[in-house]
Amino acid sequence: MSGFEFLPPFPPPANAMLLFGLLLLAGFAGGELAKRLRLPRITGYVLAGLALGASGLRLVDTTLASEARMFVNLGLGIILFELGRRLDFAWLWRDRWLAATAVAESALSFVFVYGALAYFGVKPLHAAIAAAIGIATSPAVVLLVAQELRAEGQVTERALNLVAINSVAAFVLATTMLSWLHMEHRAGGLTIVLHPAWLIGASLLLGYLASGFAILLARWVGKREERQLVMLLAVIVLAVGCAAALNLSVMLSLLAFGVGSRNLDRNRHIMQVNIGQLGQIFFVVLFVVTGATLEVTSLIAGGSIALVYVAARFIGKAIGVLSLAHFSGIRAGAGGLLCLTLTPMSSFAIEMTHGTAQLYPEFAATLAPMVLSAVLIMELIGPLAVQFALRRAGEAQEEVR
Amino acid sequence: MTAGEMLDFKPSRGYSVGVELELQILNSRDYNLARDAADLLELLKKAAHPGEVKPEITESMIELNSSIHYRHETLLEELRGIRDALADAAGRLNLRIAGGGSHPFHAWTDRRIYPTERFKHILEVYGYLAKQFTIFGQHVHIGCPDGDAALYLVHALARYVPHFIALSASSPFQQGEDTSYHSSRLNTVSAFPLSGHAPFVQSWDEFRSYFEKMKGFGIVASMKDFYWDIRPKPEYGTVEIRVFDTPLTVERAAMLAAYAQALARHLLIDRPRPPSRDVYLVHSHNRFQACRYGLDGTLVDAHTHRHLAIHEDVLDTLKIIATHAAEVGADEPLQQLAAEVMERREDATWLREQYRTHGSLNDVARLQSELWMGSALASA
Repeated sequence: MSGFEFLPPFPPPANAMLLFGLLLLAGFAGGELAKRLRLPRITGYVLAGLALGASGLRLVDTTLASEARMFVNLGLGIILFELGRRLDFAWLWRDRWLAATAVAESALSFVFVYGALAYFGVKPLHAAIAAAIGIATSPAVVLLVAQELRAEGQVTERALNLVAINSVAAFVLATTMLSWLHMEHRAGGLTIVLHPAWLIGASLLLGYLASGFAILLARWVGKREERQLVMLLAVIVLAVGCAAALNLSVMLSLLAFGVGSRNLDRNRHIMQVNIGQLGQIFFVVLFVVTGATLEVTSLIAGGSIALVYVAARFIGKAIGVLSLAHFSGIRAGAGGLLCLTLTPMSSFAIEMTHGTAQLYPEFAATLAPMVLSAVLIMELIGPLAVQFALRRAGEAQEEVR
Repeated sequence: MTAGEMLDFKPSRGYSVGVELELQILNSRDYNLARDAADLLELLKKAAHPGEVKPEITESMIELNSSIHYRHETLLEELRGIRDALADAAGRLNLRIAGGGSHPFHAWTDRRIYPTERFKHILEVYGYLAKQFTIFGQHVHIGCPDGDAALYLVHALARYVPHFIALSASSPFQQGEDTSYHSSRLNTVSAFPLSGHAPFVQSWDEFRSYFEKMKGFGIVASMKDFYWDIRPKPEYGTVEIRVFDTPLTVERAAMLAAYAQALARHLLIDRPRPPSRDVYLVHSHNRFQACRYGLDGTLVDAHTHRHLAIHEDVLDTLKIIATHAAEVGADEPLQQLAAEVMERREDATWLREQYRTHGSLNDVARLQSELWMGSALASA
């Protein structure tokens, strides 16, 4: 033809690496800008995502977002593994009021959200699923803000344990609700039982196997931090991959992996290594993609009821925490700060909503705008609330300039 | 209280003993130092417990104080009671408490000063040394009848400083490294300008004028500003021995207190030697030997000019003070101490063994805390 066939087509086809680089760079820039304004970096990542995504320049569309899925899942996997390692059953046993707090705040946030939504005329089943999703606090936001501030202390540690527990509670409850949904849609008697059982049981089993495997490998390599870091990352990637391949929950599998790697490791073969350091790049992409998939327009559709949702959720969690704070070994005033750390909503809410939407488009149309606008509100407020709470609790390290 | 009254020596009776232990607060995740002293203190206020628990210079430390005791068994019982209360409170906050003179791998740059006026002042004066001062010692107080006796005891005990160091040494690791010392803690203390030993004055009146002079120079404001190895503590009516590393268990802490108490009783009653300025000529050498080599170090006896292996000198001393040990109910613990010296069961050696077996300092810190908290951790 013209003899210029050697030139790439215009615009050049996007590939995963290109996309990854773009998201990373945008997130990085957003994070740095946020830091200069003394905001958490995460807020910058989300804003960068909003700017690039459906609500902004539309550079990241759903196809690209699903291509970035791998990186997002890896980021989530690392975070949940770390969170799982922080979940300490021995502590919950020694401070049973903390265990009671975990139950209370999960239960009350469900009850309050369900009650409020039902009062405003949302169908009971929809209200129940939305309430179940609302139990979860974002592990990513709490863990990453805590890491960014190098926060350490009672509010931080308690928040992370509560987050791990309410994430599991939300998942189990929402999955059970989904089977309820199966019943409404008459999907067949057996699926009602088998679907949640498969999701929960097999995810836990995967986590259990991964931790056993990691303990064996750790024993083999010995106490060498840099080797163990690579090994753990490899097992995490493998576990995330397995979870995706088997249609299991990345969240539950990796959380179970983290819990198992600590609680089953009787002889302490696995060292406490800082995987978060290595995971940074995935975390940036995780939040940029979250921002990119959120639509500001959904605020208009879901607006006022989303506010009800957010408020009821906060009140439920606050009553759960504050009513028991006195009995738990926590100093006066720290209870309120602990409530604030539980506000961020989980990106798992987005996943659940989209997952349901794929199965039942009709159902998704009513549920999605409400939950997604609540998520949007909390993606913006949540990191700020956590940062404020940890700083006010005096648990953040003096910041290094 | 005026400066004059501050220096009045309050008499104590009966060779009493009291113990202060500085302890490490660890997290239960990687067993690094935690920063939860304030929460721990608040929780301890809620429940009655024997003795006293106080903040120390950084938020990763806590200090436990016994009351005044005359016999070993009551001291041990009280220390165990405080330990159990502390272990229980720490368990509820998911913290660990450990003995040992140093934390094996914490980074001093991470430390934060406990926010009281005095500690903030120390940070201002001493800068980074204040944060490096996150080291853990045992202080033993011996009651004295009057100021002159206290000064006699200060100088007489100076000869035994290498014993105290070698018997308690439990800080082989610092900042993630094996220092090659049995007690690396005292090297940190030596950096302070007012560390070292008391001036060689023999009467309380001379000591008072020394203090007034130092105060007149504007160098010190109170006795607390002297970081001496052994110092008189007039308001308690005691002599305070400060060179012990915090041992790995309260049982060993009580045992070392009994050794100091029986030895002090022997020195004050038998007055075996006249005070001599020469002890301070050999002081640094002896102190270094004990820090570096523990019980296998050698000390120079300023009176006889002989070089003695520290462990042999401890065993000889234990024989000399045996009758006094019986008087304070410390027969049995001091026999046990003799046995441990013969077998060279030293805390620093134990820590190094754990490192060799487990291969990481996190494990060392974990085992250190499990040893200190004992059954209280399991049952908490």
